[in-house]
Amino acid sequence: MELVSLFIGLTFVNNVVLSKFYAICPLLGVSKKPKNALNMGYAVTFVIFLASIITYLLYYHVLTPLGITYLDLITFILVIASLVQFVEMFLKKTSPEIYKSMGVYLPLITTNCAVLGVALDNISAGYTLIEAMVAGLAVPIGFTIVIYVFATIRERLEIANVPESFKGTPIALITAGIMACAIAGIAGLV
Amino acid sequence: MQISAILALLVVGAVLGCVLGVADKYLRVEEDNRINDVTEMLPGANCGGCGYPGCSGFATALVEGDASKVSACVVSNQETREKIAQYLNETPGPDGQTAKVTV
Repeated sequence: MELVSLFIGLTFVNNVVLSKFYAICPLLGVSKKPKNALNMGYAVTFVIFLASIITYLLYYHVLTPLGITYLDLITFILVIASLVQFVEMFLKKTSPEIYKSMGVYLPLITTNCAVLGVALDNISAGYTLIEAMVAGLAVPIGFTIVIYVFATIRERLEIANVPESFKGTPIALITAGIMACAIAGIAGLV
Repeated sequence: MQISAILALLVVGAVLGCVLGVADKYLRVEEDNRINDVTEMLPGANCGGCGYPGCSGFATALVEGDASKVSACVVSNQETREKIAQYLNETPGPDGQTAKVTV
């Protein structure tokens, strides 16, 4: 039951994009087409899930026994960069279409702060391995939902009658802000 | 203390490097090396004036037949254009076909 509430809490209530404001870059960059947004979501889910497990094990079984926990940041980045590299190779081989449509935003998952954020939050919140795995699933699922919903709204905005000076990114940012307000409405639920 | 830090990072890096190396062996994609050659021949200004994302984007378009005129690259001079056109018309790709381009 606790795991379920942790999952719901991290997916919706403490949504990584709309209440912590991580990962704004891909939110704006890859949300032009809902399909691309979903692909981005899958890639991020894969990276975050594996990264949260690997970094957790590294932190408690390598860094802590050696007394070098101050190296957590650089170690985590090393793991994340390798995972992203792997995803890139995998996508290039299996589906060049997706690889092309994601463009520069695929390698940029390395610097997606949601990934590092989950890895560091797992440690600072004192999660167990199971909880860290749940967090590693809940956060990217929350991210995927938000980026997909945002992409569908942006698709509609393309044909909306937006004042000249708000066209493009400004109206997208305002939309994201309103979405954040909506999420803030359920703050403290879990 | 410092030694263990150095060693730990070294080991973690080496393990990850090995995993990526193995993955690369299985996931390697055969790339058309004409793309690389044409990219090197282009001026490398990455100005986007040709309508493609960067020089490598234009090189890909030339090799794959999306673009047929080298002169779309406004930065290149006549000599470069002729060199690229000659190279592409003479060098067959992996499928034995040459890319038809004009100066």
